[in-house]
Amino acid sequence: MQEAIVLLIAASIIAFTHNAYNRNGINPFRRPLRVPVVHGSVVDSLHAEAIRVVDLEEARLFVESGGRVVDARTKEFYVEGHIPGAILFDYYQLGTYCDLVLPLLAQDELIMVYCSDYSCEDSELLAKELYSFGYRRLLLYKGGFAEWRSADLPVERGE
Amino acid sequence: MNAANRNGVSSAERPQRAARLIHHPAALVALRLFLAAVFIYAAVQKIGKPLLFADEIRAYGVFDLGPLVYVTAIVLPWLELLCGLSLVTGVLLRGSALALAVLNAVFIAVISYRTIGIVRAGTPFLEVYFDCGCGFGATYAWKKLLEDAIYLAASLVVLTAPVHRFVVSFRRRSS
Repeated sequence: MQEAIVLLIAASIIAFTHNAYNRNGINPFRRPLRVPVVHGSVVDSLHAEAIRVVDLEEARLFVESGGRVVDARTKEFYVEGHIPGAILFDYYQLGTYCDLVLPLLAQDELIMVYCSDYSCEDSELLAKELYSFGYRRLLLYKGGFAEWRSADLPVERGE
Repeated sequence: MNAANRNGVSSAERPQRAARLIHHPAALVALRLFLAAVFIYAAVQKIGKPLLFADEIRAYGVFDLGPLVYVTAIVLPWLELLCGLSLVTGVLLRGSALALAVLNAVFIAVISYRTIGIVRAGTPFLEVYFDCGCGFGATYAWKKLLEDAIYLAASLVVLTAPVHRFVVSFRRRSS
């Protein structure tokens, strides 16, 4: 029993030290973000700074107009195919991609975030992280790449 | 009087023989290396990806994202790694066996909880398939439960073995 406790204490010390120096480390005591997410075209004064969920048609128009698109999936999925012009921002390597991508995003521009499909939460989680970094004009395309591809819309491959 | 079988082994002697076989020094070393390989590999898959692992823990629906999930996501892979290294080196051997037994019992409990939820929603038990977040990718729940039961049994064998070879002991021997 004592040996198991020694192991647990040693593991905790190493783990928290590593986490502190890991670029993708997390603050375990951070509070969950409570950011409003609204569906449809509801943009009233109450939800002026909410993350707005868009459907396929709105996403298509946004991409065609040259809007800024962020792909929250992993690099493997991104390389296989992504929405044209999308920037890779792997949500699970937040620290690494914050350094790479945030300098490319202006805080006042409209940014659309997507991931794989309706079952995937990474786009919403990433949008909330972006919100916490001060980005307030965020669109969330929940249909994701699966819906985009199944609608025969243009797809870009590679990095 | 115990009935003896045709090999001359009585029914009362069988468990003792099984225990002797399972606690054979070579068998114990093999079990330690097997457990070490599994948990070092599992740990390496998760170390440095606390956000991903936290999300996988949250998928169990046992707790929502919060300090407990994040602390588990940070510490658990390192605990698995230290336990694996301990099994190889023999340092704090019984402690690591105990920790792995407890961990595997917890894994079985939470995987069962998640599986029951999916079965209640209408999926047949043998078709329940998900990524348990263990570091080995998605698999059938029954397979994962069986694997964890094997790891639990192996940990208990290592924990309860009377004597181990290749052990580093910090205890003073009485003269």
